[in-house]
Amino acid sequence: MRRALLYGLRSLRAGPLARFLLWSAPEALPAAVAGLAIARAVDDGFLAGRPGVGMLWLAALLAASGAGAFGAAQVYRRLGDLTEPFRDGLVRVVVDGALRRATAGLDHEGALARLTHQAEIARDSYAGLLVLVRSFAVTTVGAVLGLASVAAPVLAWVLPPFLLGLAGLLLSLGFAARRQYAYVRGDERLSAVAASTLAAARDLTATGARGWAAERVGEAADAQARAEKALAWVTALRVLCLAIGGAGPLLALLAAGPWLLARGVGTGAIMGGLTYVLMGLRPALGALAQGLGAGGLRFAVTLGRLLDAADAPPADPPQVVAGGGSAVSTRGLTFAYGPHAAPVLRGLDLDLREGERLAVVGPSGIGKSTLAGLVCGLLTPGAGTVTIDGVDAREARGQRVLIPQEAHVFTGTLAENIAYHHPGATAAQLDASIDAVGARDLVERLGGPSAVLSPAELSAGERQLIALARAHLSPAPLAVLDEACCHLDPAAEERAEGAFAERGTLIVIAHRAGSALRADRVLVLDGEEAVLGARDEVIARSPLFRDLLGHWEHDAQIHPAS
Amino acid sequence: MREAIPRRGRWRLPVIGLCALAGTGVSLALPAVLGRVVDALGDRSLLFLAALLIAGGVAVDLLDVYLSAGFLADATASLRRGIVSHLLALPPSGTARFGTGDLVARVSGNAAEAAGAAPQIVGLIASAVPPLGSLVLLALIDVWLAAAFLVGVTAIVLVLRTYTRRTTEAVAGYQRVQGEIAGLLAESLTGARTIAAAGTADRERERVLGPLPELHRHGRLTWRVLSATGAKAAVAGPLALVAVLAVAGWALSRHRITPGELFAAAQYAAQGAGLGGLTGLLGGLARARAATGRVREVLDAPAFEHGDAVLPAAPGRLELRGATVTGVLTDVDLDLPGGSLTAVAGRSGSGKSTLAALCARLRDPDEGAVLLDGVPLPELTEDALRAAIGCAFERPVPVGATVAEAIACGRGIDVTAAARAADVHDWATRLPERYDTPLDEAPRSGGETQRLGLARAWPAGRLLVLDDAMSSVDTVTELRIGRALTRDHGGRTRLVVTHRAQTAARADRVVWLDDGRVRAVAPHAELWAEADYRAVFGS
Repeated sequence: MRRALLYGLRSLRAGPLARFLLWSAPEALPAAVAGLAIARAVDDGFLAGRPGVGMLWLAALLAASGAGAFGAAQVYRRLGDLTEPFRDGLVRVVVDGALRRATAGLDHEGALARLTHQAEIARDSYAGLLVLVRSFAVTTVGAVLGLASVAAPVLAWVLPPFLLGLAGLLLSLGFAARRQYAYVRGDERLSAVAASTLAAARDLTATGARGWAAERVGEAADAQARAEKALAWVTALRVLCLAIGGAGPLLALLAAGPWLLARGVGTGAIMGGLTYVLMGLRPALGALAQGLGAGGLRFAVTLGRLLDAADAPPADPPQVVAGGGSAVSTRGLTFAYGPHAAPVLRGLDLDLREGERLAVVGPSGIGKSTLAGLVCGLLTPGAGTVTIDGVDAREARGQRVLIPQEAHVFTGTLAENIAYHHPGATAAQLDASIDAVGARDLVERLGGPSAVLSPAELSAGERQLIALARAHLSPAPLAVLDEACCHLDPAAEERAEGAFAERGTLIVIAHRAGSALRADRVLVLDGEEAVLGARDEVIARSPLFRDLLGHWEHDAQIHPAS
Repeated sequence: MREAIPRRGRWRLPVIGLCALAGTGVSLALPAVLGRVVDALGDRSLLFLAALLIAGGVAVDLLDVYLSAGFLADATASLRRGIVSHLLALPPSGTARFGTGDLVARVSGNAAEAAGAAPQIVGLIASAVPPLGSLVLLALIDVWLAAAFLVGVTAIVLVLRTYTRRTTEAVAGYQRVQGEIAGLLAESLTGARTIAAAGTADRERERVLGPLPELHRHGRLTWRVLSATGAKAAVAGPLALVAVLAVAGWALSRHRITPGELFAAAQYAAQGAGLGGLTGLLGGLARARAATGRVREVLDAPAFEHGDAVLPAAPGRLELRGATVTGVLTDVDLDLPGGSLTAVAGRSGSGKSTLAALCARLRDPDEGAVLLDGVPLPELTEDALRAAIGCAFERPVPVGATVAEAIACGRGIDVTAAARAADVHDWATRLPERYDTPLDEAPRSGGETQRLGLARAWPAGRLLVLDDAMSSVDTVTELRIGRALTRDHGGRTRLVVTHRAQTAARADRVVWLDDGRVRAVAPHAELWAEADYRAVFGS
């Protein structure tokens, strides 16, 4: 809560805020003048038989209202100056946080809901809060000044219930905040379930499970509805406080009427007092109740959650070493996914020469991708070292390029997508890489390098081809293919792998035996131990690799290749 | 906006209307009573009446809050259910067209806004009553007061007319840009590993935030529209009040009305001026209209139609007759005997996945027909269709709270048997809570995800379609699954799209697709003689 309030306050830029407040001042005028003008118009004018004086007082009220209206218009205009930069900042925080968390391998669930729904709630409630707190202050000050000028004794009857209502309102904020918090959490859960379900629409249709899946989202929606109803009690409490603070002064003033009349307060003055309560204090308190009780809490809780969810470890600023070769070396490399987990890699020693092609094979879940992550500096070894050309892997960003199984293709032109790692590439270089990995047909089909891509409409294989062309164009001499061709047919895979072998050092996380047979050396990961060597040597030493190969050759024996 | 009103709890809407009406009654009666109190200060019974009115107003308010919240909550939930159900009933290509990020925005944000439409209309009507009531009551005090008031109110109404349309436009533009940013972010989150390795998170952020200045522009526009209208309303309101006060003062000096009546007239005029408060409601309504449009766009997308036929007792013979998907598949005729194992092979882009989608009825052919045991797939009931045919994908998306749920998907199937067949049982038992491990906390590789998807599809009754569903599975594991497939004791028809020669070799026959046409249907061993066929497998 505090964090959100501080963020909101810090977002207020001095210039626009000053203009915003300056334009608020005229709005106090009608609030301060209304009761006085009516009291004087009645007591000194219409009741005293001098309608001209009465009209003059009314003209003064109209002038005050005009000034107030002009101010109000300006205030709304200035509001955009405050809220839009605030929302811009918020969108930045959400996007930045989601990306930083995602790239650090942390949970980033609900980021889309935060971006589209909650950032909007924060923006709207921020605007509402600014307007309402401001007009409460303006109107209260105006009304109290007006009351004091009409009949000071009236204040003693009006202020106590008003302040009581106000206090009740402020005291209920904690309870209200907890309910609001539950509501926001429900919203996030709903978005997460909806996102995972809708992303699987095809699968659910095929499984005949759409009714079941819709029910899962429906249950989340119902839970959210329950949280929303629980929130209604908060609103009810607010209505009660408003009754005390708004209607209380009214009744007190009326009950005290005879007492006030006896002390020389005129009927007009009492009417003026009532006017200040009815047209000043009561609506102001109502507006504040609305603002704090709904918008304010909504603001604090939503923004607090937004900021918390965007927390990410500071983007590690590795000393990136430019240039360099692509020889890979690991010494005693050990890694586990947690203090109590069994190590995925244990004491691995590996030396890869410049231009060498290494295949990493093993059953799934054995740690092949972990090794790729370590070589590419995405993971930090638990023990031991990984270096590329003698440079710590985490600092050798310019020397390697990783092509993961899940290709990153974004809305933009094909050329932008392919030149992602090499923004300065020429058209000729671009074409060369497209041809090298065998993406020419795809590029032509999509309408050439300048065609704009819609990633959702591409197949997994098409996405992989684009990612391969991109990595091929990268200036980094070491390429790590982490099952990057799994959605391509073997012919396309062989072509792509060949292209990478020609351009520098290559590590292939293999999911087909073919990748292993084409490599200079093979690293077999088998849980307990790793076997490294030339193909024949590994065949001799690794039963697992024989299994993999035997399986492959078994196929070749049925249908001997010509 | 009718779809935004849920069937359950619809009774609340008229009651909310009544509450609003009663609240209106209180606010109309109160000034008159207060005026009387002012004229006869010290009259206890009048004071008591005023207190009663105020208390009644509070009670009505409370009821209104309670009912409105309930209605809004239920309406939102029911709308969300409706949207999701409908989305899942679309052909898969229909859902893919929107993009997940955009759809979530519709389910999460837009549904809530659209559900607010009905109460907002009620609120709007209720807020429109006091000015009208005030007019009548003013006329009862003095006809000229009503005339003065009418002039003021007319001015306000004219001002407000332009508001809704302009705001709807501004808000629609705003929501569109917002959806764009969400879509871009979703793309980047999918590519997190590439971004992390390339260290391009900063660039990604700037790319995702590219449309932000446009959002800023649309955002400012909404405030400008609000400010222009608000200013006019703020001038028109007091004008009505002062006009009424002037007429009332003149009448008071002639002793035609009492000071209390002047006071009441001022209150009525203020209530009329409260019409300016409608701007907020109109803004909400404009937003609800834009959101309703986005919701309707989803609900209007045509859903998959299903027939009412069930399957005859038969072994699961699959026929394609002249099946054509424009630009992808041309005139495909196939007749696969029940219980047979058929492989589909062909180069990337030859139409294999589309063929699989046709057989699993994830889409319908543009021309031609697909029949299971003689029944065209669109004539089957949805239950019969999905119980008979299962489909596993190269990129399955598991759904469910736990691993067991992700396999069962609410069907009463033998989870363990399916998991064993798909060779994912060992993986599941190594998890902390075995099959009850939350899906989010069950780390898995691409191959394990594929096997999970295969386990989900395994219980199919007559036809099992595998669309490259083992491309990420290592070969040793694939061999084991392949054996289970070959020995399938369920006697089901199996159609396996594959890039692997050994998978094709195990099949009874191979459908060789080339550029959207069936080039040959024959056993693998026969086809292997052709160099073009071997090239498909990279040999």
